[in-house]
Amino acid sequence: MKNATIIFKKEIKEILKNRSIWLPILAISIVFSAFFPAALTGGLEKMVKDPDAVDFIERVFQDTSNLQLVMLQFIIKQFIVFLLLIPAMLPSLIAPASIILEKENNTLEPLIATPIKTGELFLGKALTSLIPSFAVSFINFLLIIIIVDSIAYTKFKLLPLPTWDWAVATFILSPVISFIITMICLIVSSKTVDIRSVQGIGSVVIFPIYAVIGLQIAGLFLLNVKYLIIVCFVLIAVCPIVLRLAIKIFDRENILTKWKMK
Amino acid sequence: MIYVENLTKKFGPITAVDNISFEIQRGQIFGFLGPNGAGKTTTIRMLSTLIAPTEGKIKIDGKEPAKDGQYIRSIIGILTETPGMYEKISAYDNLNYFSSFYSIDTKVRKENIEKFLKMFELWERRFDPVSTYSKGMKQKLALARALIHQPKILFLDEPTAALDPESAYMVRSYIEKLKKEDITIFLCTHNLEEASNLSDIVCIIKSKIIKIATLDELQESRIGKKIEIVLKNNSSKYIDLIKQFKEIIEAKAYKNKINLLLEYPEKINPIIIKKLVEAGAEILYFNEIKTSLEEIYLDLIRS
Repeated sequence: MKNATIIFKKEIKEILKNRSIWLPILAISIVFSAFFPAALTGGLEKMVKDPDAVDFIERVFQDTSNLQLVMLQFIIKQFIVFLLLIPAMLPSLIAPASIILEKENNTLEPLIATPIKTGELFLGKALTSLIPSFAVSFINFLLIIIIVDSIAYTKFKLLPLPTWDWAVATFILSPVISFIITMICLIVSSKTVDIRSVQGIGSVVIFPIYAVIGLQIAGLFLLNVKYLIIVCFVLIAVCPIVLRLAIKIFDRENILTKWKMK
Repeated sequence: MIYVENLTKKFGPITAVDNISFEIQRGQIFGFLGPNGAGKTTTIRMLSTLIAPTEGKIKIDGKEPAKDGQYIRSIIGILTETPGMYEKISAYDNLNYFSSFYSIDTKVRKENIEKFLKMFELWERRFDPVSTYSKGMKQKLALARALIHQPKILFLDEPTAALDPESAYMVRSYIEKLKKEDITIFLCTHNLEEASNLSDIVCIIKSKIIKIATLDELQESRIGKKIEIVLKNNSSKYIDLIKQFKEIIEAKAYKNKINLLLEYPEKINPIIIKKLVEAGAEILYFNEIKTSLEEIYLDLIRS
């Protein structure tokens, strides 16, 4: 564990010096966790004056007793899905950089020539991707709670967040998504020398997330805690499969003989 | 210290290392020579536990890589052919990072980092990112990394590549000093003069071992000795006289010099000198030229 921690600390240092990694995440966080929540929660009165919005609420929620509150519930469900973009995208920015830069710099061989165990190296690399992803996701979820609750309290004297689906998304779904993307990125990074092709994994994986956003906007589907738990179970079942594959690839001989810059 | 028996490594249909055996004693410098693709790097990787052999036995300090890989990696230092560094972090942080995987006391680690950075004249630039370093500076830093934990065995793959003459001389001197400290050194180099000057034993490999011997044994094994005769005047008129001797394998005249390759020099040299003097030659110098490792190496590889 000590060696994994040493790797993690060094890599985090390098990531913080790499603007191409943290700048996009900072931008997404500001937009989706601060700006949008503030704008949408603060602009509820104007939104419910739109006839299309009213029509949507009546059709989907069948509850018109308090249009603003219902709209707020809908917006919160969208935020949950938006925020799942972060645990999906962040590992696909960090994990490939961690592996491919080692290949580019020819540092893998001297590293695995030290007494470090392969498992420790693997853990260090995985933590480099997982911990920032967990932390940033959690901070964003917290930020939205603060912003939405502050504005909602001043308007409606209630605190709409957190909810059960919010809790499931934050504490279970987000880490699981981070984990799976991290493992996939470690696997794919071993096979390629082009960082962009691995970072492209993030854009593929977020398609389902975009699909959910679209379905919710179309009123065809509304996320709730039951659906979230089903998704959690499915993804948790996938975790050991990708973990096993990733460990199999992270083998000293594989690293030296197959992980090559072309 | 290093024992290798019938070591073979195959990558699919390709046999990179074919049934090699050798033994290296503690404190010896073992020169490992061969053309590109001969299996040198693959051998180093097997000895340093990075890859497993297909067949054969390896023992490093009495331990087997398959069972005691972590121990072996703790006592070896390795300078790879293309040593890489983390470019975005400083030289000091690079050394600190790599050395932290060894069981070295923090105080000793910091002292070693300072010692080697000063030795390789990198101390003043220790906090600069490695990306700002020249190729030679990176090479020196990589060598410092291999030495930082005071290994018992060093694997050096082209240690003086990319170094200026002064730095190369410093590195070679340090390698000789390490030998006195009983460090075992496995030296891969294309610089045959370097191998010749440093190695106790030379091993020439091309998948299989072609020859393994001390330098003296290699020179003794050559057929014939080289002699250079320097005359006061033009040498060409004496060449036919010399070629009469059946012990002469080869004779060449150039300006005032005659170069001979001959057998039994102890028997024939006095006769040659006498014949030349009788023929009117004025001999200025009569020297034995040691066969260079380069000549021995090229002969062996080509044959």
